[in-house]
Amino acid sequence: MPEESKRMAHLRDKLKDRLLANLDEVYINGTMESRLPNNLNISFAYVEGESLLMGINEIAVSSGSACTSATLEPSYVLKALGAGDDLAHSSIRFGLGRFNTEEQVDYVSDKVIDVVNKLRELSPLYEMFKEGIDLSKVQWTAH
Amino acid sequence: MAYSEKVIDHYNHPRNVGSLDKNDPNVGTGMVGAPECGDVMKLQVKVNPTTGVIEEAKFKTFGCGSAIASSSLATEWLRGKTVDEALAIKNTDIVNELSLPPVKIHCSVLAEDAIKAAIGDYKKKAAGN
Repeated sequence: MPEESKRMAHLRDKLKDRLLANLDEVYINGTMESRLPNNLNISFAYVEGESLLMGINEIAVSSGSACTSATLEPSYVLKALGAGDDLAHSSIRFGLGRFNTEEQVDYVSDKVIDVVNKLRELSPLYEMFKEGIDLSKVQWTAH
Repeated sequence: MAYSEKVIDHYNHPRNVGSLDKNDPNVGTGMVGAPECGDVMKLQVKVNPTTGVIEEAKFKTFGCGSAIASSSLATEWLRGKTVDEALAIKNTDIVNELSLPPVKIHCSVLAEDAIKAAIGDYKKKAAGN
């Protein structure tokens, strides 16, 4: 059992490290210390969670985006952890299991990096961030 | 989430992604939605001032696959239309074309809002000259 925890944590940390090394504006939700060894919840700023899921649809993960529920409210758990409303819409939860392998972690991280980059090219928020605009000061016209 | 083939196609091959020059007097820019709602669309049109025809349209969207598809489709429809024809585009046209389920209808509403905002911005600039 303890070996399994170590193996999970190693795979999870490998995934985390690859994502952090290859993408900017990535935020871990919650602390790494008091966390299940196989869990990783990450926000990719300026990319919406459900659109990210669509690009990695052969990989089973879940999103914190509540767009498909009756309200547009983001996850209350992520909000309690301090994520702003916009980052809560950009979060993905990875849960690793006993049968996941190093190769799968490599594949998933490469795929996620690729899709995040593609979606950031589509993202007006990432464009504004790159232009140095402070998004918290923008007046949004939500309908 | 059941996405129609057209939504998936727009997601994998989005049309007219990018930006036009905001400072061009013939370009109208519309930005609608809010990050906290998980949906932001930026739509731009470049209008021929003599003919009133939209010659170019570009979009960028932060949102789900249906939101991306709605705004991508909007730019396809806008090109070649006059400004008045563009204002006649209804969100229900987008819903029908993309077979959007009820829970995603708001994506089409936002796209219609974005079209009206972009054209409104162009008209304001044109009136100011």
